[in-house]
Amino acid sequence: MKRIVELTINDEPRDMTVDSCRSLLDALRDDVGLTGTKKGCDVGDCGACTVIVDGEPVNACLMLAVEAEGRSVETVEGLQPGVDTLHPLQDAFMRHGASQCGFCTPGILMMAKKLLDDNPRPTDEDIRFGLSGNICRCTGYTKIFDAIKSAATEMEAARS
Amino acid sequence: MNVTTPIEQRDFKIVGKSVRRDDVLEKVTGEAEYTGDVKLSGMLHGKIKRSAVAHARIKSIDVSKALAYPGVKAVLTHENVPRVLHYGSPHPRSASCTKDQYILDDKVRFWGEGVAAVAAISEEIADEALDLIEVEYEPLPAVFEPEDAAQPGAPLIHEVGPGGNLVIDPVRINRGDVDAAFAEADFVLEGTFSGGRPHPAYMEPNVCIADWDGSNKLTFWTSTQTSFMVRGILAEVLGLPLTKVRVLVDHMGGGFGAKQDLFQHEFLCALLAKETRRPVKMEFTRHETFVAGRSRHPCKIWLKQGFKNDGTLVARDMKLVYDSGAYGSHGPGVTIVGTTAATSLYRCENVRLEGRCVYTNTPINGAFRGYGVVQSYYALDIQMDEAAELLGMDPAELKLKNVVRAGDIAPSGHPILGHGLEICLQHGIDVLDWKKLRNRDRMPDPKQPHIRTGWGIGCEMHGSSAYPGIKEQGNATVKVNEDGTVTLLTGAAGLGTGAHTALAQIVAEELGVRFEDVGTIHGDTDVVPWDIGAFASHTTYLVGTAAKMAAGKVRAAVFDRAAMKLQVSPAEIDLSEGKIFVIGDPGRCMTVADAMGPSRGIPAANIVANGTYEPTKSYSFAAHFAEVHVDTGTGIVEVKRVIPVHDVGRVIHPIAAQGQIEGGIQQGIGHTLTEDYIIDKKTGRSLNAGLVDYKMPLSMDMPDIETIILEAAPDPGGPWGAKGVGEDPIIAIGPAIANAIHDAIGVRFRHYPITPEDILKALREKGA
Repeated sequence: MKRIVELTINDEPRDMTVDSCRSLLDALRDDVGLTGTKKGCDVGDCGACTVIVDGEPVNACLMLAVEAEGRSVETVEGLQPGVDTLHPLQDAFMRHGASQCGFCTPGILMMAKKLLDDNPRPTDEDIRFGLSGNICRCTGYTKIFDAIKSAATEMEAARS
Repeated sequence: MNVTTPIEQRDFKIVGKSVRRDDVLEKVTGEAEYTGDVKLSGMLHGKIKRSAVAHARIKSIDVSKALAYPGVKAVLTHENVPRVLHYGSPHPRSASCTKDQYILDDKVRFWGEGVAAVAAISEEIADEALDLIEVEYEPLPAVFEPEDAAQPGAPLIHEVGPGGNLVIDPVRINRGDVDAAFAEADFVLEGTFSGGRPHPAYMEPNVCIADWDGSNKLTFWTSTQTSFMVRGILAEVLGLPLTKVRVLVDHMGGGFGAKQDLFQHEFLCALLAKETRRPVKMEFTRHETFVAGRSRHPCKIWLKQGFKNDGTLVARDMKLVYDSGAYGSHGPGVTIVGTTAATSLYRCENVRLEGRCVYTNTPINGAFRGYGVVQSYYALDIQMDEAAELLGMDPAELKLKNVVRAGDIAPSGHPILGHGLEICLQHGIDVLDWKKLRNRDRMPDPKQPHIRTGWGIGCEMHGSSAYPGIKEQGNATVKVNEDGTVTLLTGAAGLGTGAHTALAQIVAEELGVRFEDVGTIHGDTDVVPWDIGAFASHTTYLVGTAAKMAAGKVRAAVFDRAAMKLQVSPAEIDLSEGKIFVIGDPGRCMTVADAMGPSRGIPAANIVANGTYEPTKSYSFAAHFAEVHVDTGTGIVEVKRVIPVHDVGRVIHPIAAQGQIEGGIQQGIGHTLTEDYIIDKKTGRSLNAGLVDYKMPLSMDMPDIETIILEAAPDPGGPWGAKGVGEDPIIAIGPAIANAIHDAIGVRFRHYPITPEDILKALREKGA
């Protein structure tokens, strides 16, 4: 059965017509056309589909699209503060080589954003723990840790 | 022997700098288009019905219910697809491929092999239709271990090949007089080694989309490292000229070697699209990437080596058996490369090697970073550690004494250039103060009495290019546009390594323009020059040299035009950062755009050049130093610190090179400690085909990695001496960890993965 779901995606009011069994991930990718969020496993194991729903990170593959009714969803496409500006995390990921194949990158960026939103001065252990649900198979994580630390420092400097 | 061909030195402007990669802005904004992101109007979804048994004849398949299911548009079985025997590993220039696959056969050879395919208007309907296909099997006896498959009278898995379930005839290498050398040895070490079945687990599941146009031309999007090979075999099997197959691949979510087969689903996707006259997408589930993807070959090795009391290695006798799984795929190449590699690493004049590759009724093993060498060097390096222990020597000292040096014959048959391995090993010994580490206080920390610490060293070398197994060719086309910008066309795949950036850096450096002025076109077989594919750590070395050659040619052509306009001879001008000037009179200058554009009756130019390069091979080297903590209570091994010291020749992009090393270490830690794709020995079923049960090292598991890259032994075969880096790290880290575990708890493990159960069992036995 099809349902119309009204929600906010990246600060824009949207509606999606979806089967009631459709995942938020499939709805975002196929119905809304936001393919930045990736499908790495579809069973909640890899974190590639991490998006932020009402301020909390979720695996979009494990959430039904109908559950997003009335809620606010943030995806990687909404991470840039403006057309010509990047989020400090995006900039740091590029400078530090934190993205290789890039398939885990959108999910990791969203998880890192949530991490820094909650904890602007994370320790190394905080970062490792924060990313423990996101698989990256290319980088060995070292450059991802560097990038998140660097972005945290920059964001801190920008605030003060 | 020293480097004979001088390597051009220059004051590098772009090479050696970590410029911003040309693919990362799209990746951090979510705009990068991967194959699975492509959506075509009217697109159907394809799914594959997979075998529920490991070895059987198909007595009958009834698809009538599936065909009648609303939304199903086509069903394919072995009865209605072309029956063409083809290669799995698509390297037509290789002497070692085996033609043993049909798109669909009336026989299944492993649990999970495709037996039918459905196209439907949605993934869900296609999935549901699979359950409506009724397959009646006539079971055949199955074999899941190479030793069982190699027994006389074992059930034959294939009708082709040399027989006895061998994929190819045994690979045999004999040098010197092994028996005489053993007779003269002061002591002999003998042991058996084995390796599990690590899976590459790239983040992007295999995916392809097929679309036929009105002129019967197939456009095929697929996540592949070898787009021209895909084009070639698709065309051959479908009976099409190459002009009628166009393969597209933009961004790829990793591959690590395993995305260089021509997969069953790729043929089926093309055929379903042909049958329905609609575009069809086929995307693996994560489960399917295990079952129908490719893993590293499990391997059993028997190794015997003779030593002199001074540590000199005098004889090596080695037998390797690689488990190919149900099809040949890269089994022949892996067996040849892995066996041949054992002629080297630690110098030995008398070697006798035999490599076998055996079919079993298990999922197909294929190419995976380290290509057969991971297995053979794990054995060689660990046994060197054992020899040091017997001699009462520091393993660093024994390895340093025996590592290959300049002039030694490499596995390729060429003399090794430079002392790369010796320099890496010595450098690590020095920066770590290894002697002090060896002689450290080994009393456990009273706060953590159950933790034992250990340090180990692993050495490796690996070739850039698949020569001599494959006679490779690298190609690049470089065009200079009338505004002074430059377009590089390359067939090299962008599987995430930063290869296109490195190629653009090489072009910019050689031509004398800014990096930002070079645009790269890739991933369209109708447009870019022919490419052999991205594998064998060769893209920078092989295609990089071709790109440098092409850039050199267009530079000369630009100089001709500029000289004409500046009214001097081409020898009198130079080009730097996009500016052409008269040498000694830099005020007389013009931009590349000025040179290219029309002026004073000279029309705008079309300057295009190709570079074609057919290399032999260079070798990169690494010594890894690893610290582990072994928990004697739980058996858990934690890798705490890794100092990888690599020689990769000239470094083109330092951050990208470091990234290759650090990622390779991650995968290597996994295959040494936790990763093993397990096949049930009774049924052939996959037991852990998912990312929770197949345990990879994640953010909490990674050690501190302090990467050291030395430009110790540049090779004139690569651009300014550049060599490969992609595969090296995964080879060296395994033995470093195994040797460190021995250092920590005094137990020698000769297999991987070394699990907590193995550690606890060994400690119990040792205590007993």
